[in-house]
Amino acid sequence: MTRKELLLQRSAWMNEPNSPVVISSRVRLARNLEGFPFPHLISSEGAAQVEQTISQVLSTGIEPLEYISLTELTNIEQQVLIEKHLISPSLSGTTGARGVALAPDHRYSVMVNEEDHIRIQVLLPGNQLQETYRLATELDDHLEAKLDFAYREGHGYLTACPTNVGTGLRASVMVHLPGLVITKQVQQVLGAVTRLGLAVRGLYGEGSQAFGHMFQVSNQITLGKSEEDILSHLDAVTRQIVEHELQARELLRKQMPMLLEDKVWRARGTLQNARLLSSEDSMHLLSHDRLGTDMGLLPKIKDCFATLIIDTRPGCLQYILDRELDPSQRDEERARLIRERTTL
Amino acid sequence: MLCQHCQQREAVMRLSIIENEQTREVYLCESCAKKNQEVNFVFHPAIVPEFLQALFGFNSKSIEQPSEKTCPKCGISFTQITQAGKLGCSNCYETFENQLEPLLRRVHGGGQNVGKIPARRGVAIKNRLELRTLKETLQTLIQQEAFEEAAIVRDQIHQIEQVKGGEANDS
Repeated sequence: MTRKELLLQRSAWMNEPNSPVVISSRVRLARNLEGFPFPHLISSEGAAQVEQTISQVLSTGIEPLEYISLTELTNIEQQVLIEKHLISPSLSGTTGARGVALAPDHRYSVMVNEEDHIRIQVLLPGNQLQETYRLATELDDHLEAKLDFAYREGHGYLTACPTNVGTGLRASVMVHLPGLVITKQVQQVLGAVTRLGLAVRGLYGEGSQAFGHMFQVSNQITLGKSEEDILSHLDAVTRQIVEHELQARELLRKQMPMLLEDKVWRARGTLQNARLLSSEDSMHLLSHDRLGTDMGLLPKIKDCFATLIIDTRPGCLQYILDRELDPSQRDEERARLIRERTTL
Repeated sequence: MLCQHCQQREAVMRLSIIENEQTREVYLCESCAKKNQEVNFVFHPAIVPEFLQALFGFNSKSIEQPSEKTCPKCGISFTQITQAGKLGCSNCYETFENQLEPLLRRVHGGGQNVGKIPARRGVAIKNRLELRTLKETLQTLIQQEAFEEAAIVRDQIHQIEQVKGGEANDS
């Protein structure tokens, strides 16, 4: 598989989810090597040594991962990885020896020398928190068999930022909540979620309604709770969010059926016919289209929601078309790509 | 950090506003965030370095002295940790244990780690705890002149120490 083929690969999480509301599940484990300063304080020689040690172990697992040093990647390639949620903007934003190890289908992506020496990430479609954690802890065991992780009784896994110490676990789900947004209940529901020790963010850590009605819900506390507790709490709250979203959708169907039908058909019509589509417009319309498909109001299109959302982001779009595009050219090409992929 | 809108109250939220594919970040206090028309959803206070600095800074005033303690492994001081919002190395957790304790309580609500223990290092931790208990038992038995039982405990201690030694040689 060439570099380009690997990066263009549809990430596992972008496949059709098993849930109408939960788009993807993610688990991240933060780990550090004993005896080296954390990445923000490490010397360039130390960082290179850490990178070499970790990348070697990563390439010899049950499922060997391909290690890519970030210094080998162009800006567009880095942007593609950010848009696909495989690396963080801060890994791209720093300098020095650092990189990411990817599984062929991107279910694993392991960042090296980001805020911590190792950030294991597993991303799967739909609501699969337990399976996501199982895969992450399996890779963690493989690494720990060969590497000495910084760990202390009482404090658990030691991390650069004390907000991650303990389990080093950040679990999150990405949920699609157009029903709650349209019925103006999203603030109330997600506000309640934040009072339960969970954090809510938009699609890329930032967020707004314009971003495809997608929200990420994740745990905040990493110390003093077991992995099982953290996952089951998030899972229970996610089920509640799904319940509220489905109720909101039924409310729309009962109380304003024509308005709902108009909204989703209008979105489908625009997506299949528009000649110019901005990033925000397309996300908004794709979200309405997905709502219509989920509720059985629209026939299914050939491509799936998450793939379309991600492939039409600026970096991915330019990488797929293999040329640089200014914003107005992007709007034109985005509309063309969506027209092609929203055929039945 | 002060609210970028009113410049008066402490900012508690980071909001990202997306316009023309560009993201700009605004730090606001709760009151301005609620009033801001661009915001129709209030996010949970973001745990970003700026806020961590505030968390650290909360009890760092008293330690800004020239003779400040530094971590023997990485050389960082607690003031520098406060500025970076990050610790320097894993050893900092031990060096600055007392200063970190209130912060960890604020972030995580207190409590010790009850999560996963690394498989290899975990064996050592378990052995260490067991050794400590056995040595205490041995002392008690010797004091009680229960030499037969003490001999059994002594053998158990030797056994664990031999395994530990063997592991050290393997690595």
